[in-house]
Amino acid sequence: MIDAPGPWASGAFALVEGHSRVDTEAVVTDGEDRTWLQTQDRSPTVRLRANPAYWDRRRGPRVAEVEFRNDVDAGTALDLVCDTVGEVDLVTEVPHAQAERVRRSQHARLVTVEAVRALAGVLARDADGLPLADVRARRALNLAVDRAALVRDVFGGLARPLAGLTPPTPLTVAHRTPDRLRGYRHDPAEAARLWREAGGASRPIRLAVLERWAAVADAVAEQWRGALGVAVEVSVVGAAEERETRRRLAAKEPRDWDVLLLEQGSQSADVPPLELHHAFVGRSGEFRAGPVDPRFEELFADLVAQTSQLRQVVAANRIDRYVTEQAPALFLVAPQVLYAVNREVDFQPYATSFELADTSLRDGHWSLAGR
Amino acid sequence: MRLAGQLSRRPRQGPRGTLRVVDPSPLNWLYITYNTVEEPVRVTRRGKVRPAAMSRYRWRDGGRTLEIRVRDNWYPDGTPLTADSVRRAAQEQFRWHSPHPPGTHFNIDQRTRVEVVDDRTVRLHLPAVDGLALGKLRATHVMSERFWRDLGFGYARDESGEGHW
Repeated sequence: MIDAPGPWASGAFALVEGHSRVDTEAVVTDGEDRTWLQTQDRSPTVRLRANPAYWDRRRGPRVAEVEFRNDVDAGTALDLVCDTVGEVDLVTEVPHAQAERVRRSQHARLVTVEAVRALAGVLARDADGLPLADVRARRALNLAVDRAALVRDVFGGLARPLAGLTPPTPLTVAHRTPDRLRGYRHDPAEAARLWREAGGASRPIRLAVLERWAAVADAVAEQWRGALGVAVEVSVVGAAEERETRRRLAAKEPRDWDVLLLEQGSQSADVPPLELHHAFVGRSGEFRAGPVDPRFEELFADLVAQTSQLRQVVAANRIDRYVTEQAPALFLVAPQVLYAVNREVDFQPYATSFELADTSLRDGHWSLAGR
Repeated sequence: MRLAGQLSRRPRQGPRGTLRVVDPSPLNWLYITYNTVEEPVRVTRRGKVRPAAMSRYRWRDGGRTLEIRVRDNWYPDGTPLTADSVRRAAQEQFRWHSPHPPGTHFNIDQRTRVEVVDDRTVRLHLPAVDGLALGKLRATHVMSERFWRDLGFGYARDESGEGHW
C-alpha cells in the first residue's frame, strides 16, 4: 500500500494527493503462517492523475483525474450519484437491495460484473452438540438450501448459485465443467434423511452473518428450519464486532457461532483455490474451523507443483470436486458486484478489482462542459 | 506500417475530465495501489493473469526457475524500469516474513535467488517448484528507486514492511 503521494511507479495513474492505507495486526493462522486484520485509514480526498508515460496507450488512461471522495458515506454517495450531477460519478459495492433504486434514477445507471467472489458459510466442524464433524450433516445443510430462491428473492437475480467454492464466471468455465463438478441441488427430503442419520442437533444451530448479508442468513435459517426441523438462531456481526470475529476465527480460538456467512474473493480467475479453497479448508486458511484435512493438503500441494496452465486447471478442478464432496463449507451464491455510475461515464468493470485505466467520460460529462 | 500500428494502439483521445468516486470497499487501499503501480503481471477485466511490467515469461529447470523479460518502460520521474527494478522489488519483498496483508499464502519463498541476466531479463530461482508464483507476482510491486529511498512499503512510517505491501 502507498502511504503518501509521489511519482513512485509506472501505473496508469499517479497518486498526487492523500492516502488510503490499512493499519494491520498480525494473526498466526498456523505455525509460521500469518494473516493480517485490517483497519482502514483514508484521507478525506485521494486524488490520482493520469500518467502520460503509461506504456499501454490502448488501455488508457482515458480520464485525466480521479478523485476518491472519502468524506461521504455510502448511503449519501448513492443519493448523490442518483439524484445530482457533478458531486459523485461512481459508487462501488452497491447493496443488492438498492439495485432497483439505481435503475430508476435520473442520472445513474446500474453496472454489474460477474465477480470472482463467493458468499459461503464457514462450518465449525468441531462444534459441540452438532454433528458437523460428520460429512452427512454438512451435506444435509447444503441440500437444504434453495439457491435459486436466494438468487431470486434476496439478490434480485444479480447472483449465481455456487457449486463448490469456484465462482461461476466466463473464465472459470474450465474449472467447473459439468461432468466434473455437480453442485448441491435443493432436496429437503434427502437433507432431512442425512441430518437424521448424522444424529441431528441437541441444541439450536447458531448462524452468524456479517451485517451486509443479514437477509441471506434469514432466508437460509428459514430453509433449514423447514427442511431439517431444527431451531436456528441468527446473529448479525456488526461492524464493531467484525474484526474480533475474524481474529478469533483466524487464530482458531473458541467461537460463539456454528456457521458464519461471509464473502471471499480471489484476485484472479486462474487459480481460485489459492484464495478461496485455501482460506476455508487449508492448514493456514484464515477461515478454517475444524481439523486440518490431510487430503486437501495433498491436493493443494499438487496444484502448487503445476506450472502448466492446463494442469493447474485440472488440479484446481480436483480440489473443487473434493471440497464440494466433503462440504467443509456452506456453498451459497456468487453475488454480482454492482456499481451506480453517472450516465456520461463509460465505466469498464473488473471481475477481481476496481481499476479505472479503461474508463472514459462521454462528451456530456459535467467535467467536460465548456471544452 | 510501424507508425500506423503505433497509432492504432493509441486511445482515440488523450486523458480528459475528472471522475469522482466513492468506494466503500475495505480493499480501497489495494485498488489505489493497482491503479498507480505496475507488477510483472496484472489481471484483465475478466480475471485472467497477463503480463504487465514484463512482456513475457517462461519456466525453466522443470519449474524451479521463472524467467521474466521486462518491458521497455519508464517511471514518471524519468528513470527507466529495468530488470534491476524487478530484482529490487523481489528482494525487498523477501526481507519480510509476511509482507502482504492477505497473508503468507501470497509469499514467494524468501529463499528465492534473484539473478539479473541483462538489462531486460531477470530470473527467479525458486528453492522448490511453485506454479502459483506467476500469479503471486501480482503482489510484487515494481517501484522506482526514489520510492525505495524516500517512502518504501511502511519503511518511512513504521520502519517495517510487515503486512504493508
